Amino acid sequence: MHSSDSNKRDNGQRALVIFNVIAAAALFSGVAAAAQPGSPPAAPAVEAYVAVPMPPGFQVEVSPLEGPVFADAKGHTLYSWPLKRLRNGYSGESKGKPGCYDEVRTETAGLMSPYPPGVLLPELDKRPSCTALWPPVLAAADAQPVGKWTILDRKDGTKQWAYDEQALYTSVVDREPGDAIGGTTRKNDGDSPAIRVPVGPPSKVPPGFTVKTTTVGRILATDKTYSVYAYDKDTADKSMCDDVCARTWVPLLAPQTAQAQGEWSMIERAAGVKQWAYRHQPLYTYALDPRPLSVEGSDVAGWHNVYTQRTPSPPKSFTAQDTLVGQVLADSHGMTIYTYLCGDDSVDQLSCETPNDTQAYRLAICGGGDAEKCQQNWPYVRAEKGEQGSGRAWSVIQIDPKTGHLAAAGQADALSVWAYRDRPVYTYALDKQPGDVNGAGTGEWRGQRNGLKAFWLRDDDFGGTL
Amino acid sequence: MKHSSPAKLDSSRATLSSLSASLLPALRRTCAVIGIAALSAGAAVAANAPAAADNSAPAAKFVPKDGKIGYVMTDLYWAIYQTPDAKSECPKGFNDGPREQYAVLFPGSKKRTVVDTQLKLETETWLPTPDADSFPFHEATGAYSYGLNLDGKVGPHDFTSPDGEKGIDNQLYRALGCIIGFRGPDGVEYIFENKAISSNRYNRTMIEITGVNDLSNDNDVQVTIYRGLDRLLTDATGNKVVAGGSQRIDARWGRSLIQQIPGKIVDGVLTTQPSKQMVIPWMNLGVPTFQLIRDMRFQLKLTPTGAEGLIAGYADVDTWYKQLIRNDSTHHLSNGQISGISLYKALRRLADAHADPKTGANTAISSALNAKFTQVYINPLDDAVKAQVLKAAKSRQIAATQSASDSKGAAAR
Repeated sequence: MHSSDSNKRDNGQRALVIFNVIAAAALFSGVAAAAQPGSPPAAPAVEAYVAVPMPPGFQVEVSPLEGPVFADAKGHTLYSWPLKRLRNGYSGESKGKPGCYDEVRTETAGLMSPYPPGVLLPELDKRPSCTALWPPVLAAADAQPVGKWTILDRKDGTKQWAYDEQALYTSVVDREPGDAIGGTTRKNDGDSPAIRVPVGPPSKVPPGFTVKTTTVGRILATDKTYSVYAYDKDTADKSMCDDVCARTWVPLLAPQTAQAQGEWSMIERAAGVKQWAYRHQPLYTYALDPRPLSVEGSDVAGWHNVYTQRTPSPPKSFTAQDTLVGQVLADSHGMTIYTYLCGDDSVDQLSCETPNDTQAYRLAICGGGDAEKCQQNWPYVRAEKGEQGSGRAWSVIQIDPKTGHLAAAGQADALSVWAYRDRPVYTYALDKQPGDVNGAGTGEWRGQRNGLKAFWLRDDDFGGTL
Repeated sequence: MKHSSPAKLDSSRATLSSLSASLLPALRRTCAVIGIAALSAGAAVAANAPAAADNSAPAAKFVPKDGKIGYVMTDLYWAIYQTPDAKSECPKGFNDGPREQYAVLFPGSKKRTVVDTQLKLETETWLPTPDADSFPFHEATGAYSYGLNLDGKVGPHDFTSPDGEKGIDNQLYRALGCIIGFRGPDGVEYIFENKAISSNRYNRTMIEITGVNDLSNDNDVQVTIYRGLDRLLTDATGNKVVAGGSQRIDARWGRSLIQQIPGKIVDGVLTTQPSKQMVIPWMNLGVPTFQLIRDMRFQLKLTPTGAEGLIAGYADVDTWYKQLIRNDSTHHLSNGQISGISLYKALRRLADAHADPKTGANTAISSALNAKFTQVYINPLDDAVKAQVLKAAKSRQIAATQSASDSKGAAAR
């Protein structure tokens, strides 16, 4: 039986454990699907979803990063572009009103102060239109609405599929079924661009639960967004957390009318008192979690968060490092990994963060327009010979060091670099030791719009928005 | 209205009759702009006390239980000596910010490119240089400043404190004093950097004073710096921090912040010996940044319910600048008329300590922070863990000492 004494937090003594590669491995491969005792090892779990009615030609793919997403007949993930309030106005699309067309925007919209509207955007000769990057999902003339799937009229006379009244698009940077390279549902800061968001069916969770996308997986939470935990000493039909323990670890109780379904079941804590269980693990919240999506309860021995699915593991040579605020992903030398984020100030809010996009923004921030200086200040994380990615989340790409764009096939001076979601990752020259995150928030709008952010595995104070 | 001279300030003495005369100078040093304004207006000091506690009570004989008392930081802002009309310290007015500079650089309706305008300025912001500024920069002038005499000398660039102490080292004030964003009561940094101290747990700096036989006078105490893990205890409004709360120690992520410094208490004022360096976790708008203060020391007036005074030392210039611009975008800086580009040049120009071993250029600038604390009960670390943590802290201080002596050697060369 779990002792209430051992359940108390210990003022951080436990925290003195040095986290290293083992921690990184644990973060990424933690128990997503707890097998029943004696059962064979389970395949990596994927998130279950509610089967909603769909028009012909559409399907559901389970994205390794985003969970279940709608896809077209070729498996391409579908995205919406929700309306977002920016500093000087709105961007994105209102429900029922497509706003992405085959028009090349040439000037800034002035949506983010202090810079004015009407300034010429970079590389106009190569600048794509919105639909060149985000092809609308067009509906046939005789298409019929199904459930939440509806049909919108575009101003060019075509018809476009929508889900929940939000117009749907695919992304030209997605190549394989399950790719969600074009956008993410991860929580982002208020000053980030109006990004495109993968659209999918509801997660198959009972009322009172939700699933959120994080850098380490799809985490199970309550509808108030507090993280859910499981206890290693519990069994599939019995909680080992007694009444004293339950003051700290609050059992998530099910109503009397609740029914077991799929991966969800119930145990009986006491006569007539049912507790939710997921994949044979009774579920709790942690009374001392200070804010939504805190995972601080996982510091207590025997307790861990629950994920519907884990993200693909980062390169084997990578490590996890403690910082002043949590853990970051780091290279083999322990130096913090950074990703570059960028959205332009056009009405279309086009991405400028992949090697396919203009490099004018990135080069300005990392090296004053000088690619060589950029490599000194923000070196690419080079892939060693023979290293390979683990699918589409982490891959090795070839970069032209003179431009920052993808290298041509066979280019002699191409650099083999690690990429996350097809975007190169970097270290920062002014980080001097493992755990330094001196580059986090570099660039415009705290690194949200034209800048770099550390690759956080866990942050204990910022609600996952770092 | 003329700037308040020390003599003028002394006219407020009558309103402070409940305080011992010996406490007055130290207390006055702790007052920032609001305090000065209130003192001049004859208001009671208590009206300017932190939201935390009633610090106006005299520090009568008080022996804390087990000889230790903890305090948690509730307010922190750069010490700016202000007169009501700023004519004394900023006779040429206030500095321009990014919006004003953009209008000068790119006038009219001529079509320009993002690369030649916005990205050019962002490059200069993120890759700053100490080269000459194309805009005039107004440094704060005048004889007076808050702060401490950090080097024990009275030099030509030093200030005099409002209570007449000479040799005050605070070149950061010269750089910030005429930027409205850093001036109270409504400067954008003055408000929001301070607000973040109490609202965000990441910034939860605490001190614990041990070995205290009398909170008014004790020649030998130890001050341990920690970071807390918990929300602040407030009254029912949620706005006023009250004494008597409790805090757990962040011994995991905040382990490297822990250190111990010797100090003494004289007439209710704690003064510590300089620490080689203090890292102050200080985020404002969501970026986990910090300030690095070298040769840092506290000077705090203590009461059983709170502490108030100065944190002074030499701020590492690059860390200082990056702490500002990583949290505040050009938009936020614009609201305080803070040109990061011009300010960085001023910081480098005014830096007065810790010469770079290679270039000889100073890397740190004398500075002072107004700080306010409220009493809190700190849940103790296990003795063995505390010993281990403090041993590691001592090693870091030794490393910092080595680094400092390298710098001095370079400076001598």
